Amino acid sequence: MISVANAAAEVHAKPEGMPQFEPSMFEHQIFWSVISFLILLYLLNKHVMPAIKELLDVRAKKIEDDLASAQKARREAEKIQADLNNKLISSHKVASDVCEQARVEASLLRERAVEELSLELEKKKKAAVEDIEIAKKKALAEVQAVVVDVAVMATEKLIAKNVTKESASAMVDEALNEIKDSKTSLH
Amino acid sequence: MTLISSALASEAASTVVERKMDPLHHFQVHKIWDMSVFGVDISVSNSVVWMWIAVAVAFFFFYYSITGAKRIPGRMQSLAELGYLFIYDMMVGIIGKDEVPKFFPYVFTIFYFILFCNLLGLIPGSFTPTSQIIVTGTFAAIIVGISFLYGFYRNGIHYLKFFVPSGVPVLLLPLIIPIEIISFLARPVSLSVRLFANMTAGHTMLAVMFFYVVTLPIYGSWLPFGFSVVFTGVEIFIGFIQAYIFTILTCVYINDAIHLH
Repeated sequence: MISVANAAAEVHAKPEGMPQFEPSMFEHQIFWSVISFLILLYLLNKHVMPAIKELLDVRAKKIEDDLASAQKARREAEKIQADLNNKLISSHKVASDVCEQARVEASLLRERAVEELSLELEKKKKAAVEDIEIAKKKALAEVQAVVVDVAVMATEKLIAKNVTKESASAMVDEALNEIKDSKTSLH
Repeated sequence: MTLISSALASEAASTVVERKMDPLHHFQVHKIWDMSVFGVDISVSNSVVWMWIAVAVAFFFFYYSITGAKRIPGRMQSLAELGYLFIYDMMVGIIGKDEVPKFFPYVFTIFYFILFCNLLGLIPGSFTPTSQIIVTGTFAAIIVGISFLYGFYRNGIHYLKFFVPSGVPVLLLPLIIPIEIISFLARPVSLSVRLFANMTAGHTMLAVMFFYVVTLPIYGSWLPFGFSVVFTGVEIFIGFIQAYIFTILTCVYINDAIHLH
């Protein structure tokens, strides 16, 4: 305690006021401020600033290069995409051409088929008509034969009886009429 | 119990008698090693020792942050790069990109020298060189000297136009020129006094608070103690801000020397 008091007394024995304005302490502080500043300037300028500058420059260059290469890659990708798009469009065109052609061919085939079918049908119809005609003729011939037979039989029967001239002709007329009728009815 | 209380009482009594508040004690410069060369006083004092410590800490902070530097930076490397770019961007903003490389080393050095002096001064038992007006005055003189000499080197005799603002009527010139000269001369003064006064005021305030902490009884001492804790944080901030202001004004003065207003 006593030493502290002594120290305090000693301090206060010095001139009052701010110790910063004690001129006897100026000179060496000026000197060492300048020297310290120059030392720090030298050390930082020699060992620190160029190193940090280089670091930052290298990184900036790296980023720049990366950006440039990314830009390049992007351009390439865009080009490839454009190519692909073109290819896609052209292949679409090819596909639709093929489709169109197929459709045209199909319709052509269909038309031909229809034509052929109708021709065939026509032919068949003609054949059928001819068949019918032939059958009709045949039937008519048969009917005529039957009629002749009937007429013969009737005549025989009539001849077997005593007939007069008049009754005989009446009967013949009758028979002819009958034949005519049957002929028309056949049609 | 009685023994302790009586001891405390005697302690308190002796405190009242012997302890006298001396918040400026902290700023006392003691010569540790007295010497002079060719009549120049180059004694080593506590102020000088802490300057050296600030130089060493500033240098090794950066040096170790960037040794083994990688392209992808670690934390310390990021901090060092940030510290570099902080000064660089500030200078580009004020001086312009072309002139920065010439002055960058000086401004960078002055900023970190002042910053580490300010911050190291907050360590209890340390000394703050920037609380000495003669130290801040030397810094200011270096800066203003550099800008003045460079102004003459770059602009020649035209640099004197700096004191003659353009567009001022001739009649007013006898009034304006002395004002310009005075304002120019006030630059180093304001630079140095601002830094010195801020450091001194902050540390004095802290010293007063600490004095109250030890002299007040326990039920009262928590208040100055709490305040001193908060104010130490504020002092760290002020240490940064003052170094920044000193540096930014340095840039402004250099810019004036280059571009003549």
